[in-house]
Amino acid sequence: MTMPPLLEVQDLTCRFGGLVALDRVSFAVQPGEIFGLIGPNGAGKTTLFNLISGVTTPTAGSVLWRGAPITGLAPHRLNRLGLARTFQNLRLFDGLSVRENLLVALQRRPRSGALAGLLASPSHQQAERQRQETAWQLLEELGLSRLAEREAGTLAYGDRRRLEMARALATGPQLLLLDEPAAGLNPSEKDDLCQLIAALRQRHQLTVMIIEHHVPLLMRLCDRMAVLDFGVRIALGSPEQVRRDPKVIEAYLGSGSVPSASGGAAP
Amino acid sequence: MIDNGLLVQMLIGALLGVSVYLPLAAGQLSLATPAFYAVGGTLAALLSTTWPALGAGADGSFPLASFLLELLLGGLLAGVLALLVGRLVLRLQGIYLAIATIALVEIVRVAILNLPFTGGAIGIFGIPQPFPTAAGYLLPALGLLALAGWVCQRLEVMPLGRAMAAIRNDELAARCMGIDTTRVKLTAFVLSAVLAGSTGALAAHFLNTWNARQGSFDTAVTMLAFVILGGSRSWLGPVLGGLLLTALPELLRPVGDVRLVLFGLVILLGPSVFPQGLINPGLLERLGRLGERAEREPQP
Repeated sequence: MTMPPLLEVQDLTCRFGGLVALDRVSFAVQPGEIFGLIGPNGAGKTTLFNLISGVTTPTAGSVLWRGAPITGLAPHRLNRLGLARTFQNLRLFDGLSVRENLLVALQRRPRSGALAGLLASPSHQQAERQRQETAWQLLEELGLSRLAEREAGTLAYGDRRRLEMARALATGPQLLLLDEPAAGLNPSEKDDLCQLIAALRQRHQLTVMIIEHHVPLLMRLCDRMAVLDFGVRIALGSPEQVRRDPKVIEAYLGSGSVPSASGGAAP
Repeated sequence: MIDNGLLVQMLIGALLGVSVYLPLAAGQLSLATPAFYAVGGTLAALLSTTWPALGAGADGSFPLASFLLELLLGGLLAGVLALLVGRLVLRLQGIYLAIATIALVEIVRVAILNLPFTGGAIGIFGIPQPFPTAAGYLLPALGLLALAGWVCQRLEVMPLGRAMAAIRNDELAARCMGIDTTRVKLTAFVLSAVLAGSTGALAAHFLNTWNARQGSFDTAVTMLAFVILGGSRSWLGPVLGGLLLTALPELLRPVGDVRLVLFGLVILLGPSVFPQGLINPGLLERLGRLGERAEREPQP
């Protein structure tokens, strides 16, 4: 018997009125891999993330977590199972400090009761110390510790991106969904991000699903990838396989061009 | 100018301000506080005038223990009602929630006006007094306010309070970070109701009479003004707003009929001069720095 994949989507379909955003998409993500998702604008990538993370309910099809169905569960239930995400358009708690953003996400690591909290009991204080410590570790790890007390809304763009990742990590996920983490970053920041994601996977034993427009970055980072076009999965495989797939070349890259994996793409 | 009676009224205003603040701290604009205030007050008025076991004397006296029991029961009944109603109305967002809670206030008001045992338009009067003078109510009112302030203060360093702040900032992101937002919002709503219910029970005895007008749409707007003038970033805001705006109409009494115009002007101008309220983030930060300096200075 083989281990079931960490995440599997089967014939996932999502319609908004007459628009078919996703049409019978299937694939599986194995534990420990970095799985890329590419496709032109409007191909349904973010919709797919919304379905997996419970923000949107699918019209048909199912999502499996370690072989068990999780279709239609509420986002907080999915997060507690071990699934965390970031947002393409950054949804930080802008009015809270950087550290508080992480403490919100750390509220169940460890858990502590409301009564214990009101009475400031030793068990609450112990839990609180642990949360603060984990928050500091994550801030250090993502290079945000000097900004700990700054209001999240006042951070520079790149720092905000990293804070979103730190906040998702703070919930203790096994699967991290990154929605265009490199958007708006300059080439050297993109390189740093690449190394950071690879390092985080090692240190936190993560499985990563990543949506990205910057194809060279994905080719370098991913173990496998899927390509969406108009809501249909048109390719699946290693970056090398996907790169040679004629359907991908036609749909996503335009006929006649082959993406360069050696970097040096336009910023 | 400020006598004990007005002081108690001001404290009741502060308590109701905190009650409006609690759901707002979780991003929920609920105006249900007067409904729960009316429920708590009506319960206390009914129990103390009709239930002999509570020990109301023929001279209008009332045992302190029974009074405290009523504060508890008033809070409890309001809390249970909030638990039932909250599940329904908290599905609504923003202004729709505000409208639904105004509807709740009206339903409660009309019910109290028309129920066979709540005294109709005249209401319930001759509510027995646990204290000989108004000054006696100062201590329980202050005690209730201290309790409410302590809960609000503890919330800041607790998962529940942080979850509330997260929902106020971005509800969807909070859900994706593992926060059961339905439950957190309901908890804030129930806390708010319990506080309003207990305050109502206290007010019923203090005012000596109780009728349906105690919890109306007008009171809802006044209570919201407490929070808007005082500021919604800390529980101290609604406390200050409640104290000031309850005192103002009384203090302005000497100027005659113009007083309500002046009162309206304060409500109008306050938020334009202090858009984030009197107790705003900038002020809190300055206070924090002063505190730090005061702590450092005594050291050699």
